[in-house]
Amino acid sequence: MRQTARLTALLLRAYLRDRIALFFSLVVPLMLMVIFGYLNLGDFGRVSLAVDDQAKNDASKQLLSLLKGIETLQITEESTDEALKRLRRTELDVLVVIPKDFAIAPARPGQTVPQLVVYGDDARPQQVVVGRQIIAQVIDRLSFAVTQTAPVVAVKDETVQGVRLRYVDFLVPGILGVNIMQLAVFSVAFALVGDKQRGVLRRIMATPVRIPNLLAAHVVTRLFIAAGQVAVLLLVALVLFNVTIVGGLGALVVVALLGTILFLTIGFALAGWAQSENQVPAIAQLITLPQFFFSGVFFSKNAAPEAIRPITNLLPLTFLNDALREISVQGASLWDVRTQILGLLVWIVLGFVLAVRLFRFERF
Amino acid sequence: MPPVVQVNNLRKRYGEIEAVRGISFQVETGEVFGLLGPNGAGKTTTVEILEGLRKADDGSAVVAGVDVFADPSLVKRRIGVQLQASAFPENLTAKETVEFFAACYDLDVDALALLRLVELEERAGQRQETLSGGQRQRLSLATALVNSPQVLFLDEPTTGLDPQARRNLWDLIRGIQSRGTTVFLTTHYLDEAEILCERVAIMDEGRIVALDPPRKLIDDLLARGFSKPVLRQRANLEDVFLDLTGHQLRDA
Repeated sequence: MRQTARLTALLLRAYLRDRIALFFSLVVPLMLMVIFGYLNLGDFGRVSLAVDDQAKNDASKQLLSLLKGIETLQITEESTDEALKRLRRTELDVLVVIPKDFAIAPARPGQTVPQLVVYGDDARPQQVVVGRQIIAQVIDRLSFAVTQTAPVVAVKDETVQGVRLRYVDFLVPGILGVNIMQLAVFSVAFALVGDKQRGVLRRIMATPVRIPNLLAAHVVTRLFIAAGQVAVLLLVALVLFNVTIVGGLGALVVVALLGTILFLTIGFALAGWAQSENQVPAIAQLITLPQFFFSGVFFSKNAAPEAIRPITNLLPLTFLNDALREISVQGASLWDVRTQILGLLVWIVLGFVLAVRLFRFERF
Repeated sequence: MPPVVQVNNLRKRYGEIEAVRGISFQVETGEVFGLLGPNGAGKTTTVEILEGLRKADDGSAVVAGVDVFADPSLVKRRIGVQLQASAFPENLTAKETVEFFAACYDLDVDALALLRLVELEERAGQRQETLSGGQRQRLSLATALVNSPQVLFLDEPTTGLDPQARRNLWDLIRGIQSRGTTVFLTTHYLDEAEILCERVAIMDEGRIVALDPPRKLIDDLLARGFSKPVLRQRANLEDVFLDLTGHQLRDA
């Protein structure tokens, strides 16, 4: 414990002195956030949403008027057939079909629950995601207002007032996720392959240092750095972009640290495998780049081609981003994102096994 | 006093190559012992086995009273090590580097006192990677001394240093010996071995071909009727170099 603490203190000091590493762990993520957020590259204007109200009852009218009050949405009323045509021409983003039996009432045993059908345009995934999230929240609020109980559709957070989801709100959790990945994979892989190549690890192995302690010092050092990075990014997001973080910061930090551990194991595996520093960027890019694009960083994960979505949905960063985003945007609790946490844990186990097989201090 | 290093019939093979072919020798407590030999003779392999960094295929080795094969971790506690072609963690100062190794041994040391011992005290706050070659070798000595070792292993300590820095390092090594530490060094500089070592073992192709004090090896050679074909020079180029540039260390 004492040994780990001493080694961690020294490694941390060395890390903070490394200007290039600091640059990559802070300036690059901030740049990404500023470019995509401040210049609003991801701005998609409004979400055009068609409603086919087949119920025409009080409940459906109430829903419609709530939706109309949301400025992000551009609402039209039209028939399903007509709207589907327009959807296919990318003139519409989302179509909501309100069924004939639509009602806001507590579920009774044995009764089928009225189902809203939401069609989304494949070509405009960001808008679809935003549209779907808004609808889900409106339903939640509506059902809570009417029944005063937990509604048919699970209520994520009853305190949400006025859904005004902007692109930065969507973007920030993605930026957090991708930077956790980059920091953990690259910083471990570069540092340790460099140490291996220059004979640092060999020299350390000539001392009776306890290897688990040394390993722990490397991990804890990066957890500190990752926590600092998350804090700075969140601060900038809050101050500069006035980002709304609905969920708990604690839950966000827990998921971020889980993600860091996961990608650290991958970094260690990579460091064990790579023979020279030149191999690190190539392999690290091979691992991180697909996740960069397909795990919902800048755009919805559904931007990935449908054929490969079963795979992209299982990528480590997809689990991390989904969990971060549901907490940040929808106010989900850790229990709500248990599926994603389970996914992260499975990956941590896989990564750990791989790291142990590939990375052995004893060999240096 | 019993020998501090005792090696018996040590063997190590890498695939087809027999790097060490059954060597036996002892190092007496308090001496400076030199292991000489051309590149590829098996010096580094031998040293790394004694340091507990490599496993031997056969034989036995007892270092500082510990069976190396049975308890390499305990051996590491009792010896100090300077490896060939090794480096220190980046972005640490000289003082922090000593502290890092003290932490590896889980010991508290006076890092500044150790740096003073190797004449690096005024560089304590300087980044380790910005030190000169000679300074880095001295820092390396300081890190090898954090655990007050019984035996200090130095693998080619003066390779790549200028004549002034070499001489300075020799002085430091003698100083370490005078405080009771046994020094085991490898080198392929024969002048170094002649000046520093009480006894040397000469290794070639995995075997020890001679083991005696340098003076005796030279006398034996002369006794066999050897003589150099040229007249003995009364000074050599190194003497000229040192006369012109002085013994003063350049980067201290």
